[in-house]
Amino acid sequence: MQLYRNLSIRQKQVVWAWGFLAVPIVFYVSIRFYPTANAVILSFMDWNLLGDKTWIGFENYVKLVQDPVFWKVFGNTFLYLIIGTPLSLVVSFVIAYHLDKVRFMHGTIRALYFLPFMTSAVAMAWVWRWFYQPVPIGLFNNFLASLGLQQVAFLNSTTNALPSVLAPAVWAGLGFQVIIFMAGLRAIPKTYYEAARIDGVSTWTVLWEITLPLLRPTIVFLVVFSSIGFLRIFDHVFNMTTNNPGGPLNSTKPLVLMIYDTAFNSFDMGYAAAQTVVLFTVLLCVSLLQLRLLRDR
Amino acid sequence: MANLALRNLTKTYDKTQVLHGIDLAVEDGEFVVFVGPSGCGKSTTLRLIAGLEEVSGGEIEIDGRIVNNLEPKERNIAMVFQNYAIYPHMSVRKNIGFGLRTSGLPQAARTKRIDEVARILDMTDLLDRKPNQLSGGQRQRVAIGRAMVRNPAVFLFDEPLSNLDAQLRTQMRLEIKKLHQRVGNTIVFVTHDQVEAMTMADRIVIMKDGRIQQVGTPAQVYHKPANTFVAQFIGAPSMNMFEARVSAGQLTLANGSTLAAPVPLFGDRPVILGIRPDDLVAGGDAPLLEGRIEVLEPLGSETLAYVGVAGREVIAKASGRAPPAVGDSVSLSADPSNMHLFDAETGEALS
Repeated sequence: MQLYRNLSIRQKQVVWAWGFLAVPIVFYVSIRFYPTANAVILSFMDWNLLGDKTWIGFENYVKLVQDPVFWKVFGNTFLYLIIGTPLSLVVSFVIAYHLDKVRFMHGTIRALYFLPFMTSAVAMAWVWRWFYQPVPIGLFNNFLASLGLQQVAFLNSTTNALPSVLAPAVWAGLGFQVIIFMAGLRAIPKTYYEAARIDGVSTWTVLWEITLPLLRPTIVFLVVFSSIGFLRIFDHVFNMTTNNPGGPLNSTKPLVLMIYDTAFNSFDMGYAAAQTVVLFTVLLCVSLLQLRLLRDR
Repeated sequence: MANLALRNLTKTYDKTQVLHGIDLAVEDGEFVVFVGPSGCGKSTTLRLIAGLEEVSGGEIEIDGRIVNNLEPKERNIAMVFQNYAIYPHMSVRKNIGFGLRTSGLPQAARTKRIDEVARILDMTDLLDRKPNQLSGGQRQRVAIGRAMVRNPAVFLFDEPLSNLDAQLRTQMRLEIKKLHQRVGNTIVFVTHDQVEAMTMADRIVIMKDGRIQQVGTPAQVYHKPANTFVAQFIGAPSMNMFEARVSAGQLTLANGSTLAAPVPLFGDRPVILGIRPDDLVAGGDAPLLEGRIEVLEPLGSETLAYVGVAGREVIAKASGRAPPAVGDSVSLSADPSNMHLFDAETGEALS
């Protein structure tokens, strides 16, 4: 105790700060960093959960590069990313931008947009799955049929399946993004808009030159956040294609689903770990790249 | 011809009326300051002139045109905001040039105009900086530059100095006044600070509760206040007010002192006598009030003495070099020509 009392105020603050930080650090090291490191080591081994682990060097990675399914899956994952992120951001910005101007039932409308975000992804995926069914079950196809139009094979076609799976994922994330965008819009001082009104510039100019640049921190956050979300997409795909996860013909299979398959259906833990390391690297690179590109200059 | 005219201007929010018929004519090139306590409607009036809020009744005329239904950009005005409203992501040059976007000027003419404004405001070397690299005073100048660049008929200033520290405020006050003398545009300036109003204005408009109390030059509102509100609002420290009674040309104070009424009045009526601290001096042949000094506030050039007179405080000015001491008994007198008489009920000046 005497020892503590003799410390300067600054040193005491340091002692307390590290005291509090120590708990989460221990927690993170034991449940995050240790398994992560383990996974990296595992990716260089052959292991089927029961047998012995054998060191096989880069064999898992070589297998990965030569696996056509991996490249298909890799492409799918990026498709989810490059369609999902811009689409969800543009749609949610348009909604937030206009909702910000609505006074009538503002709270109710906002709550309605937020509702999908609170819904379980599994329930949502199954409802959408029902929407996509052929006549006479599916909502969309019934509607098309009643207009006399051709049915669309939403989940059964290799070209339509991926966008069809992506749609509910985008829709589910909208509420969250709308709320964040609206908070960002509210944070822009009103006088900027009043000054622009007095200067007489067009609404379009105000949007491009004032609103969007001032919204930059919000946009950076949402781009990174939603990119990570789309790169890790799993539950929507798995639940909408349960009879043949990632099908038809792997056309909707994302990386996470492939990892799941390899690990818990093929019990090839080393190979799954190698895929995980690749996913982790991709996530890291994409996030860092985005932060760098969108950083304030 | 008036450059800006307000005729019976009213503004109502829902059921609350915040402006009750504002009438004012501002001459071309005049510097008019709206001053009043918060909530008096001065900023609302400015926003009505700017077109940021819709008029509920009455007319606004700028340059001979009724502008009630015109968008801000069509009114030929420019405005400087309290928080400057300069865009943090644009350079000073872009900020100043923002107002020229709709001007239809060719690029070369715009650049020339921006450079000219920068030269007038002495910030040519700041043009490529971002706002976060500028000091408060420099940001203020950028805001003024953005207003100037469009060469409007009327400049509107909405409490532009209240975010600056005291020293900088005094300096910018002077700069704005000099700028006005050089450029000569019409300026409508809103402030809650009576010192700002007095020092800068050609004419002061004093407002309270959505009504104009008095319009006049700084000298007029100081020496001939129209009512007790103006008398106490203008001038620091505030004017001393005494309840008194007039009968047969004699003014009797509550403490029994009498003097010849400074203003000829008929009948027997209660009045309010106002005397500025500057005019209340110690000594004199016919002392009006007697009391004991309770608190002293030395200001250097002078000392403010709070004198307890019959249970209330009266402020008087004393010498800065040889101030009296706390506890001293003083008798105070004033020159009748420096006294102000107001109606006890309405508060209107009697003359």
